[in-house]
Amino acid sequence: MATYDSLFSALGLKEWCAEGKSDGPMSMADLLAKTKGSDAEPESLWDLPFPSMDTLNESCAAFPQSRELTKGLEQGFLAIKDNLSLVLDPLTQPLSWFLDSALYGMLNTPWWIVIPLMLAIVFVVTKSWKLVLFVGVSIGLLAFIDYYEYAMQTLAIIFVCAFLCVLLGVPIGIAMARSNTLQRIMIPVLDMLQTLPPFVYLIPLIFLFSVTESKLYGIAIILYAIVPVVRLTNLGIRLVDKDVIEAADAFGMTPRQKLFKVQIPLALPNIMAGVNQTIMMSLAMVVIASLVSAPGLGVLVLRGIRNLELGVGLVSGLGIVILAVILDRVTKASLARINASQKQ
Amino acid sequence: MANDIKISIKNLYKIFGPTPDVALEYVKRGMNKADLLDQQNHVLGLRDINVDILDGKITVIMGLSGSGKSTLIRHLNRLIEPTAGEIRLNGKDVLELNEEELRQLRREQMSMVFQKFALLPHKTVLENAGMALNIRGSTVADFEKEAVKWLARVGLEGNENQYPHQLSGGMQQRVGIARALVSNSPIMLMDEAFSALDPLIRSDMQDLLLELQDELQKTIVFITHDLDEALKLSDHLVILKDGEVVQQGDPQDILLHPNDPYIVAFINDINRARVLRVRSVMSRNLDEDTDYAGDVSEKDNLEAVLSRSGGDTNLTFRVVRNGEAVGSLSMKELTRALVPTNASTASNASKN
Repeated sequence: MATYDSLFSALGLKEWCAEGKSDGPMSMADLLAKTKGSDAEPESLWDLPFPSMDTLNESCAAFPQSRELTKGLEQGFLAIKDNLSLVLDPLTQPLSWFLDSALYGMLNTPWWIVIPLMLAIVFVVTKSWKLVLFVGVSIGLLAFIDYYEYAMQTLAIIFVCAFLCVLLGVPIGIAMARSNTLQRIMIPVLDMLQTLPPFVYLIPLIFLFSVTESKLYGIAIILYAIVPVVRLTNLGIRLVDKDVIEAADAFGMTPRQKLFKVQIPLALPNIMAGVNQTIMMSLAMVVIASLVSAPGLGVLVLRGIRNLELGVGLVSGLGIVILAVILDRVTKASLARINASQKQ
Repeated sequence: MANDIKISIKNLYKIFGPTPDVALEYVKRGMNKADLLDQQNHVLGLRDINVDILDGKITVIMGLSGSGKSTLIRHLNRLIEPTAGEIRLNGKDVLELNEEELRQLRREQMSMVFQKFALLPHKTVLENAGMALNIRGSTVADFEKEAVKWLARVGLEGNENQYPHQLSGGMQQRVGIARALVSNSPIMLMDEAFSALDPLIRSDMQDLLLELQDELQKTIVFITHDLDEALKLSDHLVILKDGEVVQQGDPQDILLHPNDPYIVAFINDINRARVLRVRSVMSRNLDEDTDYAGDVSEKDNLEAVLSRSGGDTNLTFRVVRNGEAVGSLSMKELTRALVPTNASTASNASKN
């Protein structure tokens, strides 16, 4: 006799409930309760259980248990999984190629080409010798303690993913800025992507793609890191001075001219702030993605945890910090240069 | 000089709100602005505006904030769409233009100068000045000569490669004017162009505009809330209040014969001697016998005549236009013109 029996009899569902009698597997809690024989009705209103799925199931066997919900979700996903991956697989295949070739290129080019090339890029975007020196010393340090290869793998993944985030995110942001409807649709999606714990991304992806493929972690990183660049592109374009937009209209700019000559250039400081955030978030995700075979410093962190190798874990963690500082300073310095050229 | 009508605005209405067409009916039946907002939740922008803008003249539209003047100027190039009415440019209805034709109109017929300058902050002064040509597809090399010429004309020689934020407000607005001039459009719309500048610079810019106008004879529509500025610049003055034209015409005429207490209140504060010109108060009859104290130009203001007279009220001056005598001005007439309006035209301003 369970608490909500009377409810079902009152609704006249007694027969329907009886049909559902099944010998489904019992949960551990049920088993324990049974052995203890404490399956009695609660004595007072104080102990009234919430009419949850499991409680109702006790009164009426035909009522589904909550584990059937999660199970149903899983089965539903598995049912569409094959068709889904049939579509998604070829669609995302280029991502694997990009990642694999970036990793291959980064690791198979001699260090005396890669490091100077990187320093040259730093100089071009920041025009600051101080920063070039800092990046040089940092990478030199990582290379000296034999973490060069891991650091380069991490960087290669970040470059590819951040680049794709910008490539996809900026147009999405522009579209959002132009349509209020799209903005209303996208904001909850972006909110969800941003707040979903990063590990949760990995679960459906593991079902969809093979763990040996690099696009698995590529997709996880892009989904997680694309949010800021979309948001800030949208914001940046919406914040462009109304007077300047009006002037553009008054002088007869086409919508296309307005976008490329006015809106994007004036939104650039915000877009670049988004790119900075995107890069930092891909760095955060690339470490977690080492759970699904993403190479790089994350693998060492994981090794540190698994094998309790304290030193390895700490040093690779510090390596990630160094990479983060490099990426942050370089993007911020280039952002500052853009800002300086557009003071109103 | 024959003055052709360049732009003609007829029965123009603008109502802001979700269903302007419905509200328009109420407005046409005579509902006023406050009631419309209260009962219909619509804002009356403009009511039954009829203005003819003459070719080659400066038409000033004056009113306090909220009077609809900025709304009105934006109707001319359809940055704002009217609720009802028509706007004819050279006889052609602007409202019938499709998107592409409208763009052509904005590129070739009308240029605009803005209160907040609205320059592109990421472009140099030169590129900003050449913006209109750039939009039509010219490269920097194409428009450089033209842009440099006009920048020099507005006094910005040598600033071509600076960015707008490196310039002062007055200089930025000079870029704004150069930008409008480079587009070589016959019509210039100036939306409170000098309102954001400090008084001395504003006066300089007004002089610059008048100088340019002497040279170029563009059709200028100038918006301002400042009566002194309006009187200084305008050939034709339109005074707006709550979205309606209260009086329009020759500014001197408005000053001498205001037809509304609102305008009287406006003009009470100004220095009449500085604003009134000889031509509006002189008498047309030339008396050969009179002993003239000297010649004054019909364009001189009364202040200049006053200072020439040295305070002697018995003098009479001969008024000349282009070296030809056209009338006379006695100091007595002059003094009479300086009497504030609400005393001299009590009949018109009796409500006050």
